[in-house]
Amino acid sequence: MKIIVFIDQIVSTQVKLQGVDFFDSSLINEDDLVINPTSKNAIEGALKLKDTSGASVTAVCVRGLKPIKALREAIAMGCNEAIEIADDSFYTEDPMLLAKIYVSALEKIGDFDLVFLGAEEQSTSSYAVGAMLAERLDLPSVLYAEEMESIENGFRIGHILEGGRKIVEIPKKALISTGDSPYFTPRYTSMRGILTAKRAEVPKWSSADLGLSASVTGKEAASLQQVSLSNIVIEKKSYIINEGEPEEMVDNLLSKLKEDEVKLGV
Amino acid sequence: MNILVFGQIRDNSVEENLLGILNKLSEVFGDSEISAALLTNQVNNDWIESLGKHGVNRVYTVETPELEVYLSRPYVKAMLEIIKKAEPTLVLAAGTVYGEDLIPRLAIHHGVSCAQRFVDISRDGDDVLFHTPVRDDQAMKITKIVGNIKFATSRTGAFFINENPSGQSPEVEKLDVSFDSNDMIVKHVEIKKAERTVNLKDAKLIVAGGRGVGGKENFQIIKDLATTLGGEIGATRACTDLHWIEETYEIGQTGQSVSPDVYIAAGISGAPQHLSGVKAKTLIAINNDEGAPIFNFADYGIVGDLHVILPILKSKIKS
Repeated sequence: MKIIVFIDQIVSTQVKLQGVDFFDSSLINEDDLVINPTSKNAIEGALKLKDTSGASVTAVCVRGLKPIKALREAIAMGCNEAIEIADDSFYTEDPMLLAKIYVSALEKIGDFDLVFLGAEEQSTSSYAVGAMLAERLDLPSVLYAEEMESIENGFRIGHILEGGRKIVEIPKKALISTGDSPYFTPRYTSMRGILTAKRAEVPKWSSADLGLSASVTGKEAASLQQVSLSNIVIEKKSYIINEGEPEEMVDNLLSKLKEDEVKLGV
Repeated sequence: MNILVFGQIRDNSVEENLLGILNKLSEVFGDSEISAALLTNQVNNDWIESLGKHGVNRVYTVETPELEVYLSRPYVKAMLEIIKKAEPTLVLAAGTVYGEDLIPRLAIHHGVSCAQRFVDISRDGDDVLFHTPVRDDQAMKITKIVGNIKFATSRTGAFFINENPSGQSPEVEKLDVSFDSNDMIVKHVEIKKAERTVNLKDAKLIVAGGRGVGGKENFQIIKDLATTLGGEIGATRACTDLHWIEETYEIGQTGQSVSPDVYIAAGISGAPQHLSGVKAKTLIAINNDEGAPIFNFADYGIVGDLHVILPILKSKIKS
């Protein structure tokens, strides 16, 4: 079984940037980039199948300044190989264009059985790529998976649903997008994995390698266009206590609440 | 503007988030024709009346056993038929799990992209503008879709429902769509409804825990503080999934919606999926990660370990 995992690289929440600055790549260092948590869930889903059925797992990353960092981490977690796809002409703010790049990557890879990806592409604030990709590939799919088990001829999968969980069965060749759940909680990288990742050769494909061009996957091809991006100004003033001994902090909070006439307790 | 909405039904009623969208549409596109697509195994006239009351002029129905439960392929197929018939210029759905599955697929079939999780919609000449908060709600991105037909889903909880709707009964048009085995390739097994034995809707004070609580035993700290304050407890989906706490206490998009006077969020990072279910007058956050998005929404906060802070808070309040 050959599994492809598409991973998304995002700016860490630890980075002290505010609002629109997150979208300014000149302000972002390579060290600030991490794998999107839901992409890690997807990697875990693929690796669980590798553990049980000997599947091979290929991680593919299109996004980010230096997708290589995310890909080395994916290998360190246990993926067999990785492919970096990068091109200055790509415009991935439009989920349809990102889905197109993924389709071309899969065509170049050729043979595959399962596609995993995280349910949320945080870097473009998009939740559409999985559904679009499945539709383009005409693959049976489940989005927001929370748990899965192998059954004869496929998988039984539970996915998030308002007010509960829905269970469906899908064939072996399918697309699964993963949400955050205990089942898909990602494993840590191992020392052996880190060493393997350091040595691994990661091929790099450009737009031309995939037979794409700016007129297909560049900004001019986008149907979802940004009109404006601005900081959200929160009118209320937050009172955040970030120093002092725990007891002082609590006293500080309680006296401020009293001053503001906020009643704790009913 | 000719608008088509996905007439999602949940718990035998029209999805509340869809009613919210309809209210917003009447405000922004008052002069437009609004149709709804109703896909089901059995049409209920109450749904049609409810859609009409909230401003829908025409309802297209496809009624067949294959549409009993949402599944991507048959629903996409039926929707494509309705779109062909209705010729909308704007297609909208509530941003539920089903809506977010359906709309991108329909968009792809029309060769365009879609906007998602908008909290406001406006018009600018012939353009429709979608206002979407991004990056943990720190920035507002406004987008438009270039094309003759536009697709989008709202963020759940974004719009108020008109409590006194006065629309007329809509016209109903029935469509026949047939399905083959390839359409039904994903098999529905069951829906496991979360037990909702505790109603948090009217709670005045809630102490809620997230992943940062760290374990089932640790939830006692949350319970203790809630008891001391005379409030209720709540949790994120991660905690109920991990069985740290009963699923009835789940708050958020897929759990209960709450609107207490005070909401104490302990060890909660502040993901939109959780916060979309919280409308509190005062939000107090306790989290040891100063970079956690929850602090952007909190009125008050302590950057510290909840396992240390909450017991101190409890004992100080007691005394």
